[in-house]
Amino acid sequence: MAVQDAIPAPQAVEDTAGTVRRKRILRHAGIFLTLILMWEFGSRIGWLDPLFYPRPSNIMRSFWLIYFQNGNVWYHLYATMSLVFLGWIGGSILGIGLGSLVGFNSVLRRFLKPYVIVLEATPRIAVAPLLIAALGFGASSKIAIIVLVCFFAPFINTLSGVMNVDEDRLELFRSMRASKMQVLRKLVLPDAVPIIMAGERLALTAALSGALVAEFIQRDEGIGSLILVYTRNLNMASAFACIFTLTILGFLIFKGMEKIDFYVAFWKYEGGRERVSAKRRAAMEGPDHA
Amino acid sequence: MHNKNSPATFWVFEFIFRVLPHLVLFAVLIWLWELAVATGFITSIIIPRPSKIGGAIVELYITKGTIYRHFFITLTEAVVGFLIGATIAISLAVSSSLSETFKRYVIPYAIVLNVTPGIALTPVIIAWFGYGMGSKIALAAIISFFPIFVNTLTGLVQVDEDREELFQSLGATNYQVFRKFRVPAALPLMFAGLKIGLTTALIGAVVAEFAQATDGVGVLMSRFSFQLNMAASLATLMSMTTIGLILFYTMEFLDDRIVFWRRENRRAAASRARARAWKNQL
Repeated sequence: MAVQDAIPAPQAVEDTAGTVRRKRILRHAGIFLTLILMWEFGSRIGWLDPLFYPRPSNIMRSFWLIYFQNGNVWYHLYATMSLVFLGWIGGSILGIGLGSLVGFNSVLRRFLKPYVIVLEATPRIAVAPLLIAALGFGASSKIAIIVLVCFFAPFINTLSGVMNVDEDRLELFRSMRASKMQVLRKLVLPDAVPIIMAGERLALTAALSGALVAEFIQRDEGIGSLILVYTRNLNMASAFACIFTLTILGFLIFKGMEKIDFYVAFWKYEGGRERVSAKRRAAMEGPDHA
Repeated sequence: MHNKNSPATFWVFEFIFRVLPHLVLFAVLIWLWELAVATGFITSIIIPRPSKIGGAIVELYITKGTIYRHFFITLTEAVVGFLIGATIAISLAVSSSLSETFKRYVIPYAIVLNVTPGIALTPVIIAWFGYGMGSKIALAAIISFFPIFVNTLTGLVQVDEDREELFQSLGATNYQVFRKFRVPAALPLMFAGLKIGLTTALIGAVVAEFAQATDGVGVLMSRFSFQLNMAASLATLMSMTTIGLILFYTMEFLDDRIVFWRRENRRAAASRARARAWKNQL
């Protein structure tokens, strides 16, 4: 009897968990709204100078202005993001290529190490003015800056991913007379790819920062120069609208990279192997069973 | 007579086999570079000769000494910004680890701050804090905040359950659990965060100087490169590398001393010191 009475209990617990969650979200939203309202009224009463600290309502209006009424942000977003992706791809190829080259060659590694340490300590964005002076104003110097800024994370991560091979496993592979290609494909890559992907994620964020700095210096086009121009004109509401655009963009980049990671390094995730092998099986069986 | 194991012989061998090849390679690279510029293979306006860079280094660092003022200004900006950012980050992380509610309400804002490229705030920060050192310090603090916060919080929250149970079953007070268990467990991760934060603080200071400033290594460098004085510009870049190295090795040293148990030899040294102290007491 007692046992049967106990059965409905999990149902009840789940219900309360749902309500707790709903309440929590409501409370979060409440706090957020209160903060926004405090900001708005603080500005209206005169505690915050609206010239420097724009009201939330003005920021919302600026969003409307730059996206729909004037629509000028699209062009700049396109200019920035196309360079970010080009530079990111270039930097990744360079970083992964050099990283694996150095990772597999111990002599090269020994001689490159001091330079890598020096390069690591230098704030790489600082080379931006030099590159602009060398390559001139325009897209090429911007891409060069982005490549330089985002090359390092994939490089270091590839290097450590390739080098941190489990010695015991390597011995097992050797004792079973695995070829070099097999060692690479079946031992090194599965361990290294998740680390490399983490480097790629860092690199994409760095690429966005690099593009912004390049645009701050060149001031011709792109979201960075847009922010700079709006701030110079003390049009802070529009500057903030651009910054929040970047927040959304950063969030999308984060989520997108997570998604890519989910497909590229699938064995790291719960049930990833089963998912992929089921797909492969379906592809193999497909023509016969269709 | 030196035998093979004496320290002097060891250092000679060390020098010949490990340091000398590096130096030779470096000299050859520099010579090739010099040759490439001298023959016109590389345009000397874009990439100056190493000898010219050497001349600029001598001028900036020794004969004129203009760099030192800027060097210390940038160093101060980065360090002060880092200290402010780290203080806020660590106090928020500690509070979040102590109170689940606090953590829930702080984390969304921290994430929003993280996904925004902090550098995008540069113009706004300069409008708020002016052209002086204040804006550089503020930017350095903002962009060094997140890595420190997230690493400290992760370190404090991710703890070994079994050990915690041991502490509780031995009747440790909350303070003791925090002081003797959570903090030591969190320190290695926290230091990793502090190292990242210090590097980003330097980047923040330099970028803010590029955007608008009167003093600092960043200004000096952009001024030189827009005058197409690339030799001086590269010489200035070297001082940024120096700042980076100073900051990094300071942090590494502190890491070694404070989180001594992570390194085998440091742990041995610490326990030896303790044994000595104990013996003296007896």
